[in-house]
Amino acid sequence: VVRLAGLDQGAIVKAMQDFRAGRRIATVMDRIAKGFTDEEIQAIAAWYAAQR
Amino acid sequence: MRRRQFLKMGVTAALLHAPAFAQGAGPRVVVVGGGFAGASCARALRQANARIAVTLVEANPTFTACPLSNVVIGGLRELSAQQFTYERVAADGITVVRATATGVDSQARSVTLGDGARLSYDRLVLAPGIDIRWGALPGYDEAAAERMPHAWRAGEQTLLLRRQLEAMDDGGLVVMSAPPNPFRCPPGPYERASLIAHYLKTRKPKSKLIVLDAKDAFSKQRLFQQAWAELYPGLLEWVSLSKGGKVVSVDPATNTLVTDFGKHQAKVANVIPPQKAGRIAEVAGVADASGWCPIDPVTFESKRQPNIHVIGDAAIAGAMPKSAFAANSQAKTCAAAVARLVTGAAPAAPKLINTCYSLVAPDYGISVAGVYVPTGGQLAEVPGSGGVSPAEAPRATRAVEAGLAEAWFRTITAEVFG
Repeated sequence: VVRLAGLDQGAIVKAMQDFRAGRRIATVMDRIAKGFTDEEIQAIAAWYAAQR
Repeated sequence: MRRRQFLKMGVTAALLHAPAFAQGAGPRVVVVGGGFAGASCARALRQANARIAVTLVEANPTFTACPLSNVVIGGLRELSAQQFTYERVAADGITVVRATATGVDSQARSVTLGDGARLSYDRLVLAPGIDIRWGALPGYDEAAAERMPHAWRAGEQTLLLRRQLEAMDDGGLVVMSAPPNPFRCPPGPYERASLIAHYLKTRKPKSKLIVLDAKDAFSKQRLFQQAWAELYPGLLEWVSLSKGGKVVSVDPATNTLVTDFGKHQAKVANVIPPQKAGRIAEVAGVADASGWCPIDPVTFESKRQPNIHVIGDAAIAGAMPKSAFAANSQAKTCAAAVARLVTGAAPAAPKLINTCYSLVAPDYGISVAGVYVPTGGQLAEVPGSGGVSPAEAPRATRAVEAGLAEAWFRTITAEVFG
């Protein structure tokens, strides 16, 4: 399991967008990513990137 | 000396009568119930604002988690792996009070504990989980549960059901009953049926399991039934409501479950009875006639009592299921809202998530996920989001999800109790 805290914001955004679009293999993250808008994904990524 | 004593008393009296935010004292939030919802909320409150004085009221020194407890019943996991203490929660600066909350005065804003002590609050969060609705199923009372365990609150009941299965001779009949909606952990009865079937298949293959259901449909149904046909043909029989599956009474003296169409005398009987919000919800006046608690979907504040919030299984949370992950998500939402409300700020609109795994066999996992948003006063699924595992998938995918079920448990329990 990948630890999200401190990951690069852009990398998290890309991962979420890829999950949402079905470009990245997933089990549950594709289903969850589909529930979030671009703005929300940016906010989520910014929060995780700021964690340590 | 006298003067100093007088001054000291004066200061104490002033503090006692001070409004919550004066004298540098932070807002006071009391959380009742130390499960996934309550412990998560207490920690999230401290994280949101360290000035909030958070008290967590919990009667038990140890928490026993329900997720994966069906694996304990199936003999493949020990109960100790389900148990957590509140040491790390207390280390966050949360006052953990080991007591039963017996009363709530919503006017005076205080909680009464079993020993008569009172805790004052600015906001109260109730996370009492479920209580069994004793008497709703004729014949099923607390004494009956010692013979026909429900095992729907993990702990001694979990071990009792496991011991009964272990003591049963090969060729015995196991009968389960599943309740009508709503109840804790919608896929839980079917995961349990699967893991009991797995135990019987590997240890007592001449035995049989019948699941009597008060419903015609259930969570992850297609996935479960597909897996049952593959893994447990002839061993596990599910009887739906329309096929006469509804249990109308039980007789603990003979271990018998009665439907409108017949009687099933079991060697081992597992009765999952109707449920309601934990008792303090009723005492506090936040439960409605259904036994569950209507809430505002943005703040989780009760629709029946001001300044009291209800989270987790006890709450009526619209499309969200009564699951540990949902409880954790609701706890964070509620904490964020309470942290703003106690400082006079307006709460922000939340989005909530649920993820829930079920094991059909130790190496066969399936999942459901959902994203939820307040819509028209209730929590609704975000259109196009969520769903269950694919119907057609190789066994390798099911094995990956079985592994993720374990990872899910380690991650959520580390966040809440670690």
